[in-house]
Amino acid sequence: MSISLLSNTYNRQNWEDSEFPILCQTCLGDNPYIRMMKERYGQECKICNRPFTIFRWCPGARMRFKKTEICQTCSKVKNVCQTCLLDLEYGLPVQVRDEALQITDSVPKSHVNKEYFTQNVEGEMALDQQPQPYGQLAKAQPPSDVLMKLARSAPYYKRNQPHICSFYVKGECKRGEECPYRHEKPSDPDDPLSTQNIRDRFYGINDPVAEKLLSRYKEAPQLEAPEDKTVTTLYIGNVIDIDEQQLRDHFYQYGEIRSVTVVPKQSCAFVQFTQRDAAERAAKETFNKLVIDGKRLSVKWGKPPSAQASSGRAGEAGGYESNYELVPGLPSVVPMPSSESKTDFFGLSSSSNMAASTASNTFLPPPPMPPPDLGDYTSSLSYGHMPPPLSLRTSSIHYPSQDPSRVGSTASHGKANE
Amino acid sequence: MVKVRKGSKPPPDGWDLIEPTLDELEGKMREAELAPHEGKRKVETLWPIFKIHHQKSRYLYDLYYKRKTISKELYDYCMKQSIGDKNLIAQWKKQGYENLCCLRCIQPRDTNFNKKCICRVPKEKLEEGKVVECVHCGCRGCSG
Repeated sequence: MSISLLSNTYNRQNWEDSEFPILCQTCLGDNPYIRMMKERYGQECKICNRPFTIFRWCPGARMRFKKTEICQTCSKVKNVCQTCLLDLEYGLPVQVRDEALQITDSVPKSHVNKEYFTQNVEGEMALDQQPQPYGQLAKAQPPSDVLMKLARSAPYYKRNQPHICSFYVKGECKRGEECPYRHEKPSDPDDPLSTQNIRDRFYGINDPVAEKLLSRYKEAPQLEAPEDKTVTTLYIGNVIDIDEQQLRDHFYQYGEIRSVTVVPKQSCAFVQFTQRDAAERAAKETFNKLVIDGKRLSVKWGKPPSAQASSGRAGEAGGYESNYELVPGLPSVVPMPSSESKTDFFGLSSSSNMAASTASNTFLPPPPMPPPDLGDYTSSLSYGHMPPPLSLRTSSIHYPSQDPSRVGSTASHGKANE
Repeated sequence: MVKVRKGSKPPPDGWDLIEPTLDELEGKMREAELAPHEGKRKVETLWPIFKIHHQKSRYLYDLYYKRKTISKELYDYCMKQSIGDKNLIAQWKKQGYENLCCLRCIQPRDTNFNKKCICRVPKEKLEEGKVVECVHCGCRGCSG
C-alpha cells in the first residue's frame, strides 16, 4: 500500500486533518505565547495507528518539545488530552476517572475491531453539530468529589521536563552545560511506575499511576465517626478572617445552630448544633470540602459535652456568644483529671465539674469513656478550660431560643444575655 | 598536494607571502574532512568544516579590508580561486554581522518558524547562563 503523502489520494479522506489540537493546560505550558508547528499526517496515532495531524510546540523554557501522540478521534472517545492522555477536566488518568464515575464504556482494543470502531466513531462525530464527549461521559454528572479531591489544583509542569540524558547515566555526556537533557538519576526500574504503556493508560487497564492514586485515596483520612453521642460541636480549623456570620450562613442548611464561636487567636471556630444528626450531616458534607472565602477549612468533631459545660469564654467573640446551662438529663462524661489540670490554675474547673456531675447523678451513670481526642483539640486551647464566671444560673435557659432577651432567630438580632 | 588553479595565469604579487598560511589552512581542512565520526554527534561532525571555512575567509578579509596589506588584484585572485567565500565576506561588511559564523545561521528557511539561528541572538538577550552551540556550525554566539 502506497504511503507517500502525494500519491494515494483515494484513502485520503479517511486520514484525520485537524485545525487545532485537544490539549490540557499543563501540556501547553506556562508561556502564553506559544509557537506551534503543524504537520499534516505527520505520524500515526499511538492507539488506532491511523495517520493524523501532529502539532509540536515548546511548553516553556528548558522544557522538551511536546507533540500530539494520539489522534483527535481517540482523544474524544476518552475525553483526554492528545499528548498526556489525562482527562481534560480533572487531569487524572482514565482509570481513575472511570472508576470514580463508574463509566463502563467498552472500547475494542485489538485489530479489526478497533479499526472498525474508530472508523464508526469518527463518522458519527463528523455528523454531530456540537462536539460531545463519547459514550457515558456525555451524561450530565454532578462534579464528583472524589475526583475533585484527587485532581491537582495547579498545572504540574514537571511533566514537560526533558528526558534523562542517557549518556550522563553511563557517565559519558560530553555536552556538559549545553546538554538539554536532564542530568539526573533515572527512576528505579523496580518501581511499578517505570513501566507504563500508552495503550494501558488510554484504555484504563492496569495503569500503575491510577492504582497508586486510588490506593492513596482509600487510605486518606476519612471522616471520623463521632465519638460521644451527644457531641454536636464541630471544630473548624484554618479560620482566618472569616466571621461568625459567614459560618452561620453556611452551616444553617444542616440544621439549627445552637452557637457559633470564633476564636481568632487560634484561627478556629466552633459550631454547635442543637441536633446531633444535623451535626453529623454537616460534618459529612463539609469534611475536607469546606471552602469559605477561598480558604479551605478543616472540619473535625469538637470535645465531649462535659468539658464543654465549663467552656464558653466570657465576653468572647464580640459578645455574641451566650452561655447556657446544661440541659438536665443529658448524660455527660466526667473528664479525665489529667487533661483538666494542665491549665487549671485556679481549681475553678473542679467546682463546675461538681455541679455537672451532680446534675447527671440523677440519671444513668456517665458512660466511662474518656474522650480520646481531647488532647488534640482542646489542650492547646484555654477555651475549654476557663469556666465562665456566670455559668451557674438560676434561670433554666438551655437553648438560645429560650432566651427572652433574644428577639430574633439568630444572636445577631438580639442582645446576648450575659 | 597542490590545489588546482583555475585558469592558467600565474598568481599576482604578494602571493608568496600569504601562500604558507593558506596552505596550512588547506591542510587543516583536509584533516577535518577525513576525521572519524566516532564519539561525535551527527551534526557535530560538520562543525570543524564550517569553522575552518570561516577562518580562511577571515584571513583574506582581514588582510584586504582591515590591514590592507594585499592588493586588490591578489584579493580578487583569491576570490576567483574560491579560497575565501565571497558571500560570507559580503555579510561581514554589514553592520551587526561582522562576526557572522556561517551563512546557514542567517537562513530563515532552515528554521521551523522562519527565524535566524540561536547563535545570532546577542548574549544579553539570551537568558542567563544558557550555553548554546548552534546546530549548524557549533557557534556559541556570533552577534554583538
